[in-house]
Amino acid sequence: MKKLLSEFFKGIIKENPTFVLALGLCPTLAVSVSVINGIGMGVAATFVLLGSNMIIALIKNFIPARIRIPCYIVVIATFVTIAELAMKAYSPILDRALGIYVPLIVVNCIVLGRAEAYACKNSLVNSFMDGLGMGVGFTLALILISGIREFLGAGTILGHTVVKGFEPVFVMGMPSGALLLIGLLLGFFNLAKRRN
Amino acid sequence: MNKLIVSPAPHLYKGESVSRIMWMVVASLIPAGVAGIFIFGPSALSVIITAVISALAAELILQVATKRKITVFDGSAVITGLLLAYNLPAHVPLWLPVIGSFFSIAIGKQVFGGLGQNIFNPALVGRVFLMASWPKYMTVFTQPLNYDAIAQATPLAALKEGKIIEHITYLDLFLGKRGGCIGEVCILALLIGAGFLLIRGYISWQIPFTYIITTGVFTYIFAGKGLFAGDWLFHILSGGLILGAFFMATDYVTSPLTTKGQIVFGIGCGLLTAIIRLWGGYPEGVSYAILMMNAATPIIDRFTKNRVYGSR
Amino acid sequence: MDLGQFLAIFISAVFIYNVILSRFLGLCSFIAISKETKPALAMSLAVMFVITMSSMLTWFIYRFLLIPFNLTYLRTISFILVIATFVQLVEMVIRKIAPAMYRFFGIYLPLITVNCAVLGVAVLNIDMFFINGKAVQGSFYYSAFQGVCVGLGYTLAMLLMSGIRERLELCNVPKAMKDFPLGFVIAAILSLSFMGFNGFKF
Repeated sequence: MKKLLSEFFKGIIKENPTFVLALGLCPTLAVSVSVINGIGMGVAATFVLLGSNMIIALIKNFIPARIRIPCYIVVIATFVTIAELAMKAYSPILDRALGIYVPLIVVNCIVLGRAEAYACKNSLVNSFMDGLGMGVGFTLALILISGIREFLGAGTILGHTVVKGFEPVFVMGMPSGALLLIGLLLGFFNLAKRRN
Repeated sequence: MNKLIVSPAPHLYKGESVSRIMWMVVASLIPAGVAGIFIFGPSALSVIITAVISALAAELILQVATKRKITVFDGSAVITGLLLAYNLPAHVPLWLPVIGSFFSIAIGKQVFGGLGQNIFNPALVGRVFLMASWPKYMTVFTQPLNYDAIAQATPLAALKEGKIIEHITYLDLFLGKRGGCIGEVCILALLIGAGFLLIRGYISWQIPFTYIITTGVFTYIFAGKGLFAGDWLFHILSGGLILGAFFMATDYVTSPLTTKGQIVFGIGCGLLTAIIRLWGGYPEGVSYAILMMNAATPIIDRFTKNRVYGSR
Repeated sequence: MDLGQFLAIFISAVFIYNVILSRFLGLCSFIAISKETKPALAMSLAVMFVITMSSMLTWFIYRFLLIPFNLTYLRTISFILVIATFVQLVEMVIRKIAPAMYRFFGIYLPLITVNCAVLGVAVLNIDMFFINGKAVQGSFYYSAFQGVCVGLGYTLAMLLMSGIRERLELCNVPKAMKDFPLGFVIAAILSLSFMGFNGFKF
């Protein structure tokens, strides 16, 4: 049980996919304009991660090593398609806001990375916990980044005004603001790492 | 630490220190600032002072925080603050130059390792940041010689909105009787400073001249109705072209080393400025043009390197 | 089909919605391979080639397979398979026919399969040039041209970035900001300066 919990928690801080492993930055930057988009992307990616990790852990013994990557991609793409269709059906607004970045979860390095590095060598339960931890870590990172961007860029959190009279820094809602923020955050985490 | 830039001979020694050159540039910027204060009134002065003091403070804070040598008085931070203020409208709220200066120094300069290592002109980095973040303050200009603070568009902005520009003569543009940023309006004052720098050899002619001529030629060809009918003089005299060409594009650190490279740089700046002015969404393109060419400088340097004597 | 549309695609793909600086596609390779100019250029050429070819391929798949058989929900899965297969094929062909070229940019090809720019542009083409499940007039040419332009935008960003980072090797960058973090900050400034082209129209 303790092992399982550590599998789960490593994805949140020690091996956080965004800040420590620097994986999957494309969607992180693109959709983090508002917290709700960030959560939507995080949940969708977590779903795909969980699904693909479990399926790959189950069928790992049947996949020939030489064509394993295409096999992983098919499994991942299947779950992405499910997520895409579900999002279109239940939350068309979110689907429009996330745009092409939903299908692009297929090439999100976190998902393929976990399949290749973890799920193909570990048991179903461990892979499940690993996927869940990574997904939650990714979602938390998204919430952090989108929270900062939404607060600075629009003066709101989840659409609610937080501080009255605050002049929004428009650039934070733009691509350049996202790049700047991730650069500074990575620098900050580097600094924190070196202090420890 | 083998961080030594080696370039082929000849190496000339001039007996000038970096900080002396910096203070000379500061001196050459004074006439334009005085003209700006005269034209827009005391609020221009407070913007300039705020920007310079915050640039110095930012430099000091960051150098202390990163435990580097304190070089606040080498004049470079003063230049950054001055240039940033010169690129702001006169009646902006004073927190704007404070944030702008901090951004310029932190992101434009110290992140790269400080003086002499930055890739982009720090003042322009600050300016485009402010422009993207608070456009409503950055694009409201006040009418010159009129302290009632009536919002007025710059000549270039009026042109962009398709208004016909009346009552503005070339002399008005030359003397600065128009809306605009603090330091860009009085061409006469800018030219006095630029002449000083050119004669003393602190800046070379290649970049400013190719820059201005390219913009002039391009706008002459494309800005009018039909080809070869553009008002090129208007385009040269308005906006921040003169300020940018002489004082910002010529920054040693962020422009190419060789004459050939500098000419390519100037032409590139001129083309981009004219293209943005004529077809872009913004009325003025000088800051963006110079920043884009700053980004291209390492590549330009790479392809226009002086041949090492004796090699192919 | 008109010339203005092509120009608009060019400006928007290269500058305004630059694939890296504005759409954030291919960011991983952008940060990872932009340390030196030569590999960066090789990678860019490879990306440009693959994006253009896959734009055309996926257009055919979508227009002549997915739409007629009402299988558009298989878009993602079919596109990624086509792209992966195509890249694999190109790699094998180049290795066999032109070993010199393979040494120059073949090694970057496997990386491109998971480069989100390729799939991103394929999906984007469908979003932009198919309306209500019907191809707009000239959509094939638009798609192919958009592929070329996105490749050009990628190349431009790579070239500028690699030049800058080569120079930064000589600089005294604060330790915490070295490499990745500074790469992003530079990309941010590039993106800010490319904003000069916002609202571009003739």
